[in-house]
Amino acid sequence: MAVEHYWAPTSLSDALEHLRGGDVTVLAGGTDLMPQTQAGRVSLERGLLNVRRVAELHRIERVDGAVRIGALCTITEIMRDPLVGEHFAMLADACDHFASDQLRNAATIGGNVCNASPAGDTLVPLLVLDAEAELASKPGARVERRRVPLADFFVGPGRTRRAPDELLCAIRLPLPPPGFVGRFFKFGTRPALDIAAISIGIGGVRDGRTLVQARVAYGAVAAVPLRARRTEAALEGAALDAATADGVAATARDEVRPIDDLRASAWYRKELVFNMTRRILHDVAEA
Amino acid sequence: MKVIEKSTLIGKRIAKLDAPEKAAGMTRYVHDLDLPGQLHARILRSTRVHARIKRIDTRRARALAGVHAVLTAADVPYQRPLGVGKDQLPLKGDKVRSLRDEIAAVAADTEAIAEAALALIDVEYEDLPTLTDPADALKPGAPVIHGETLASPAPHDALKPGEPGDAEAHRHNVAMTFDYAQGDLAAGEAESDVIVDDWFRLHYVTHCCMGVSGIIAEFDRSGNLTLHSNTQVPFLHKREFAEILGMDPGRIRIIQPPIGGGFGSKLDIYPFEPICVFLAKATRRPVKLVFSREEEFIASPTRQPVLLRLRSGAKKDGTLTFRDCETLHDNGAYTSWGATTPFVMMQTISSLYRVPHCKYHTTAVYTNNPYAGSFRGYGNLQATFAVEQQIDELAEKLGIDPLEMRLKNAQDPGEITPQGMHFQTCGLKECLRTAAEVSDYRARHAAALAAQHSPQRYKRGVGMASMLHVGGGAKIYPSDGCGTILKIDDFAHVTLITGASEIGQGSETVLAQLVCEELGIPLDTVSVVNNDTDITPWDVGVHASRTTFIGGNSAIGAARKAKAKVLAAAAKTTGIPEAELELRAGHIVRTATGEALVSLAKLLRSLHFSDKAELVMTTFYYEPPSKHQDKSFKGDVSAAYAWATQVVEVEVDTDTGVVRLLKVTGAHDVGRVLNRLGIEGQIEGGIVMGQGYAITEDLMVDGGVVRNPGFRDYKLVTAPEIPEMEVRFIETMDGEGPQGAKGVGEAPAICIAAATANAICNATGVRIRELPFTPEKVYRALHRAGVPAGPTGGD
Ligand SMILES: Cc1cc2nc3c(=O)[nH]c(=O)nc-3n(C[C@H](O)[C@H](O)[C@H](O)COP(=O)(O)OP(=O)(O)OC[C@H]3O[C@@H](n4cnc5c(N)ncnc54)[C@H](O)[C@@H]3O)c2cc1C
Repeated sequence: MAVEHYWAPTSLSDALEHLRGGDVTVLAGGTDLMPQTQAGRVSLERGLLNVRRVAELHRIERVDGAVRIGALCTITEIMRDPLVGEHFAMLADACDHFASDQLRNAATIGGNVCNASPAGDTLVPLLVLDAEAELASKPGARVERRRVPLADFFVGPGRTRRAPDELLCAIRLPLPPPGFVGRFFKFGTRPALDIAAISIGIGGVRDGRTLVQARVAYGAVAAVPLRARRTEAALEGAALDAATADGVAATARDEVRPIDDLRASAWYRKELVFNMTRRILHDVAEA
Repeated sequence: MKVIEKSTLIGKRIAKLDAPEKAAGMTRYVHDLDLPGQLHARILRSTRVHARIKRIDTRRARALAGVHAVLTAADVPYQRPLGVGKDQLPLKGDKVRSLRDEIAAVAADTEAIAEAALALIDVEYEDLPTLTDPADALKPGAPVIHGETLASPAPHDALKPGEPGDAEAHRHNVAMTFDYAQGDLAAGEAESDVIVDDWFRLHYVTHCCMGVSGIIAEFDRSGNLTLHSNTQVPFLHKREFAEILGMDPGRIRIIQPPIGGGFGSKLDIYPFEPICVFLAKATRRPVKLVFSREEEFIASPTRQPVLLRLRSGAKKDGTLTFRDCETLHDNGAYTSWGATTPFVMMQTISSLYRVPHCKYHTTAVYTNNPYAGSFRGYGNLQATFAVEQQIDELAEKLGIDPLEMRLKNAQDPGEITPQGMHFQTCGLKECLRTAAEVSDYRARHAAALAAQHSPQRYKRGVGMASMLHVGGGAKIYPSDGCGTILKIDDFAHVTLITGASEIGQGSETVLAQLVCEELGIPLDTVSVVNNDTDITPWDVGVHASRTTFIGGNSAIGAARKAKAKVLAAAAKTTGIPEAELELRAGHIVRTATGEALVSLAKLLRSLHFSDKAELVMTTFYYEPPSKHQDKSFKGDVSAAYAWATQVVEVEVDTDTGVVRLLKVTGAHDVGRVLNRLGIEGQIEGGIVMGQGYAITEDLMVDGGVVRNPGFRDYKLVTAPEIPEMEVRFIETMDGEGPQGAKGVGEAPAICIAAATANAICNATGVRIRELPFTPEKVYRALHRAGVPAGPTGGD
């Protein structure tokens, strides 16, 4: 269908009013939307809502016990932000492995989350960091907000629990507990401009020779970015030695459900999950 | 007295003449050209791999506002077969044989309208059994791709033996065959102490020119056709266009706007070109047709994929005894230059090293896959991949150092090989020694061997490969010549009008440089005209690394004639004998003292305005002293041969299979360095192209479908992956070359894949005979061979 309306509101409230009917496409950086529509994989709705001028969605701020990253913050902004650098180094690291400078300057975290690609680079660290999606809508006179844990947000490739009249406003990241260590690993075949064949996020709190509050996530190994609960259970409280690393890595290899595609076969993805999980755990133990 | 010292431009670092325009984005490629009244064209391609066309309905497309013409085969009954094999019509009417097949074409006011019109064309197909694995093509009962078509292809007088097959061959899916033999294979086998026997599998890659394919066709009211075309072979194409279109070649003019990369891809005629002409004819308007990037991936040629079996033997002391090579070329649906790569492949098999007994066979079979064209290196990357791996294998079996093994069998200057190639100059041994020394090959090779089984995540290794390629043109047509017209105006400004085409390789700069060297004038006083068949003299095109050599000799010839004229006139005015005069820095000088006698401009003006007025204008035609191969593929096809050795150092990540090129050391026998900056760029660019072939690039063709027609999934090498490069030039001063130079355009891309294979084997002990070395492929090979992923302990 041809686009009949184009809006570029400057306030969240206006933006949500345009969204109310639901038959509207949200445009942020456009780095997913434009190629997808050009390739004919996505068709634009009747209304096109450019949210880029809504300043209140474009902030990184400290709120009690957490940091809110506005949906419009670009990958470059997040990568360079001091709050992010201080508390969520693995997210900054993921941003540093994202596409190329040109893409990072345009691509937003909100777009990365709403596009819900199993290979989205920020999604794996966000899962490990227990992120929540902050959604807003305006069914009546008032703006209504709700939060959804990111681990429950993704439904399938390109599909989320966002309702058509909702906008993703921010990603909320609780400050990690003291002693938290996090690691991000992205495997692409080249150092820049590559979509992950797999990615791994591992986090937890160091307690002597063990890792507690362990959180593990994998990208590009299932229909959604995967929070790997069984792997977490295997890791939780176990001594970080070679035997544990092997065992946890084997659990992960079992837990992931990759497919064969252009980038890699399922078998190879599982091998990478095993080898690199093992290696990351080893590195964490050494650190 | 003003004294001018003798100086030379040869070997200097000279920026390309077109660099400022290109760097500023001001170059006007065909994409940037728009003619008044121009229409835009798009082509409807098949959605089936192999099918009969039952019905094409264009009525809805014709009715769309803004559409000026919709053509199908039925609308152009006069169209004739095109391409190397003359086995396809531009527009397909009866059946489609691959996904790229052209079914209909639209000319409209805008590209968007043309595109929209394509969606309104209905095609009804009847699917036929498909043939997408070349190994199945010769099996009884295999689907026949061509049998029923084109009674018998028109003879193609540009080709020698190894000509396109006839109708009978087509009925068996055979497009072409090649057979070559020297010596006595059985005797060679009998005297061998070791024999190696392997299969090698070479994949599809494509040129990825920055400028996608494009053409503008226009007729004037007298029926003359002008083509603004990216072709690499304007003069031969005039004739081919004339044949396909059924018109007088004299009425065709080809203008080449600056070309956004060629690499061999523009050496054949492709259907889109005559289709654009049909549309221009039908609409009586200029018509422009430019590919989308996706279309470029699907519908422009690839490098020839090859399945190759090679057997090689050697004596205990390392002397090579025989080679037996058999290949299956996947010809795809139609025959272009890819099928003829055996011309080059057999040279590497027979003559890169001294091998007394050789046998070579190729069958190129039709399938429903994309078809291959010519691509920088022309089969040599494929042949070298096999030959150079087996040298390492033999050396290993015999316990001989791989460098020694190569030196022992390397060619020497003066050698005439059994295939008839005469190496007047040959720097192979020096290339081998230099590359080994600069890269510290021996020590690194030994160290990697010793560390092969140590438990490390990252393993390093070095690998070496050499190459032989034509460097003095290639007599594949009855002539291999190039013409030049040179004029010097009243202000001593030179216009060099050459048949040699520029496709980004820097030819116009080096030709201007050679002319300046002869005429003693500064580089900024030369303009080069090289892109209009109505103006420039004949040439067989830019291919086979020939332009600097052939075009250069031609330019030098014209410059020498002009110089003789000028000096004769100067002798008259100065009263000093010609033999004592020279041209330096835009002046006539006395050779002995350097004394400037008169400026060249002044002398020319006096010539022009005198009562016996004369212009300095010369022509020259250079034809190299090379020979056509005879029916058995023997003959000295090139006036000079280029040599190189490259050493590659890799690091293999056993956790992931990622292979990184750390360093490439190259030693290249280039005859002589003319433009140092130009040749460095050529070599470095070639190395990176070879790297893409070896490691990252893979056009994935699956059941006849290209699965990654875009740069997201077709992975060109990016800047951070480019290795350190150290290149040494071996100057053998070829007697026939322009100022001693040889052609080197293709050479640098040829060895990388072979050297990388050897390096991976040196690092890990695992030999991989299939390209590309993508992480998954390498990981699988390591895994299969039982090489464990790097342990997590100390590395
Ligand atoms: C060449 C190239 C390379 C790439 N490389 C990578 C890479 O390395 N890693 C990676 O993860 N991704 C990569 N991508 C994908 C893309 O850049 C990212 O997913 C990016 O984060 C999308 O953000 P955007 O702002 O451009 O989203 P858009 O394209 O504007 O939007 C994406 C989707 O999200 C919706 N949306 C956006 N914002 C909101 C919002 N606030 N509320 C509700 N819905 C919203 C849109 O409607 C659309 O459906 C690449 C893309 C390209 C073209």
